[in-house]
Amino acid sequence: MQRETKPIELKELAENLVVFGKNNGADEVEISILDGYEFSVDVRLGKIENLVEAGSRSLGLRVIKDKKNAFASSSDLSRETLQHLVKNAVKRAKLASPDEFSGLPALSKKRIDISSLRLFDPEIPNLDSKKKIALATETEKIALKDKRITNSHGSSFETREIRIIFANSNGFLEEYEQTFCGLSLGLLAGETDNQVEDSWSSSKLHFKELDSPEEVARKAVERTVRQLKPRKIMTQKVPVIFEPTMTSWLLGFLFACVSGVSIYQKTSFLVDKLGERIGNEKVTVYDDGLLPGRLGTRPFDAEGVPSQKTLVVDKGILNNYLCNTYAARKLKLKSTGSSSGTSVSPSNFYLQAGKIAPEKIVSSLEKGLILIRTIGHGLNPITGDISRGAFGLWVEKGETVYPVSEITISGNLGEILNNIEMVGNDLDFRSPLSGPTIKIKELTVAGQ
Amino acid sequence: MKNLPSLAFEDHFNISPSDLQKILNISLSRGGDFSEIYLEYKIYNFINMEEDIIKETAESISLGLGIRVLSGEKTGFGYTNDLSFAKIKKAALTAASIASSRTSREASSLNPVQYQHNFYPVLESPHKESLEKKISFVKETYHSAQNFNRKIKKVKVSLLDHTQFVTILNSEGLKVSDARPLMKLACLAVAEKGNKREAGFSGGGGRVGMEYFSNLTPKEIGQDAAKEALELLEAALPPAGEMAVVLAPGHSGVLVHEAVGHLLEADFNRKKTSIFWNKMGKKVGSSQVTIYDDPTIPYFRGSYNIDDEGTIPKKTLLIEKGKMAGLLQDRLSAKLMQRPLTGHGRRQDYSSIPIPRMSNTYIDRGEHSPDEIVKSVKKGFYAHKFLGGQVEDSGKFTFSVSSGYLIENGKLTAPVKQASLIGTNIDILKNIEMIGSDLKFGLQTGTCGKEGQAVPVIDGCPTIKISRMTVGGQ
Repeated sequence: MQRETKPIELKELAENLVVFGKNNGADEVEISILDGYEFSVDVRLGKIENLVEAGSRSLGLRVIKDKKNAFASSSDLSRETLQHLVKNAVKRAKLASPDEFSGLPALSKKRIDISSLRLFDPEIPNLDSKKKIALATETEKIALKDKRITNSHGSSFETREIRIIFANSNGFLEEYEQTFCGLSLGLLAGETDNQVEDSWSSSKLHFKELDSPEEVARKAVERTVRQLKPRKIMTQKVPVIFEPTMTSWLLGFLFACVSGVSIYQKTSFLVDKLGERIGNEKVTVYDDGLLPGRLGTRPFDAEGVPSQKTLVVDKGILNNYLCNTYAARKLKLKSTGSSSGTSVSPSNFYLQAGKIAPEKIVSSLEKGLILIRTIGHGLNPITGDISRGAFGLWVEKGETVYPVSEITISGNLGEILNNIEMVGNDLDFRSPLSGPTIKIKELTVAGQ
Repeated sequence: MKNLPSLAFEDHFNISPSDLQKILNISLSRGGDFSEIYLEYKIYNFINMEEDIIKETAESISLGLGIRVLSGEKTGFGYTNDLSFAKIKKAALTAASIASSRTSREASSLNPVQYQHNFYPVLESPHKESLEKKISFVKETYHSAQNFNRKIKKVKVSLLDHTQFVTILNSEGLKVSDARPLMKLACLAVAEKGNKREAGFSGGGGRVGMEYFSNLTPKEIGQDAAKEALELLEAALPPAGEMAVVLAPGHSGVLVHEAVGHLLEADFNRKKTSIFWNKMGKKVGSSQVTIYDDPTIPYFRGSYNIDDEGTIPKKTLLIEKGKMAGLLQDRLSAKLMQRPLTGHGRRQDYSSIPIPRMSNTYIDRGEHSPDEIVKSVKKGFYAHKFLGGQVEDSGKFTFSVSSGYLIENGKLTAPVKQASLIGTNIDILKNIEMIGSDLKFGLQTGTCGKEGQAVPVIDGCPTIKISRMTVGGQ
């Protein structure tokens, strides 16, 4: 089924609402419209569980009156509702406090060539439903051939097509279209009282770049069965290797701590650290919204500020915070095109790869842990403290000897960044937050 | 133009009863067993105060419908927020396509249900209250936290209220509606001393009206957040290893939610992925442990008059004196497992498929006094407040403790921060040694996530002693 787009209508709607807002007393108006279509299928034990297909639209708006802000959003795009929301927003703005730092970004002269970003794959809207269902079915089927797999959480395939339209009263009016596809599989191994589970997925903007069912199944099986028959270990301090998925997780925490919003709110341990050493020379981190065809790529942010490549950490020195327009004004910096509205979001936020193969990192480990998964909520951006439940593989003399579970890892992000001993060459951009395998000199692993 | 959109919410859909009946029939045109339309209209207001100013207010309107068709174990689902008959019909055909029979079925004619209960008889509906009054509550909370102590360097307060109107119609002839208010006032306070910085959190709300805040006042909420931040400034990291753990009443309810509740959701048991799937009626924990999930507790965040499939909910016994006694059911699992409905089919919104979820989950009170419990511990850890937790189907879980104390010779001593508790649910249930008589519930601010869907919940428990548990720290 094809999405029915009415391209002109939505763009006109955005433009008209900007004018309507100005005419009803707003000093500044910003409108964003999202027009999306999604398809997803979940298959479990060979049968379809859920099949979802839908189109939906939503509109977000901001008005500023006398430096006072009001926001609104709606999934009802009828003119009466939207005009009511705009008028009400102007009224509500009067009840907020004036904020000298508020205001839309000035119109940038920079224009991003949207086609060079490879955001849209024309193959995705034309994929046949039967083919999409077959992909999920096939992936699970391959995995279930492995006798060690005892149950399945199922396999899913999904596609999304979205169109984003953005207009503001400074004269910005742009739009772009983006596609997305993802294939995932969750598995269990072992008997009910000793079961282990894991999953694997591949997500891409372009269908041809998606991992094959064989590859997704192979990784999901491997990641699940390697955890069978875990042991407990004694509490100790040991070197810890982070697999790429774990480095990504750590980078998510770093992102929260270099967010300009956290900085002006003083909820990050990296407040007032610009230009200072926050890690060793192995740590170089970028946020790059312009990488062609990557998951976090976008031509402009949620305020219409053009995307850029920002050097966040330069060989251990904190070089920049990631800011929306408001945070940038507060901190006397420039917006890095990181706005997600009142907050910030990463584009492609990554730790620059090193030169060492991941196998060599493991073989360098005399005794320690490979961290493969964490669960829980124990991250404190104010202190950088980390305390999480963890699953891992115990390593002795450079070889994996057995899996471990029921452990926690604890440490501090600041200390970890200063203690990265090795950086792998396996950066894969499989999520908007991405990093290679890394080896940390020492972390506390709590067990018995 | 009226000040607020009309609240006779079905007007917003402008779909005639005969069209709805038609849509239910179209959904069964490929021979599905069951079809359902979920109409949702939600209005939402938000106020945010930080850096001494009302930074922004927001208003949001969500209007849409979801159509679901069940065929055996399969679910077809379509949704739309474009409410033209053509688009609704398209969603119905999408959902219908899950079944593949040539014989269409007819839906029963609709028979509106009017139930007699109301678990949230609020006096002052949040959506009818003026923004000025709400702003005054926000400011009061803010200044209470800020003025509590000079070390409080930053405060952030938000007030969120929404009202969700739903109507559920299905091919069995059901037509039933609910209007659910929800409020949440939350305060974050950051205290500084030298280069140390710590945050405290407090909040309140539920399915309540504005009158709620004359009981738990904005002032108290602000003070509680400030107190916690100040106390954490003096807190040390906990020791790591296995030790006796005492769980504070109320906040520790997150443990019963994570370690037990999720794995008693029927879908995980029907699919045999939960560690509990083969344990119904069997002993799974200490005989002191009795656990309920009760969606009918007045004014609680997790309560509802009907669930999101239109079922009248029931207080559901999950664990009785250590034995597994029940599951949280939605329509699909109940039908496939041939069990009665419990009213736990919930969904985040019209664009989501209902699945079995918790509401208000708690461990029932025991017989020990809280003092007696702490006194019985020579050396251990007292978990006071939690950031949250997570569980896997295998029963392995982690809880993040934001604040606690060491227990030395039967007394609470040094304050401790940032610890993780980790274990396996069956081990913990077995290792529950004492349960207090002081059942309490946590803050009315919690949200639970499952399969990408967030729903409001709350959980509770009395003081509990667990003989051994792994604590992660330095």
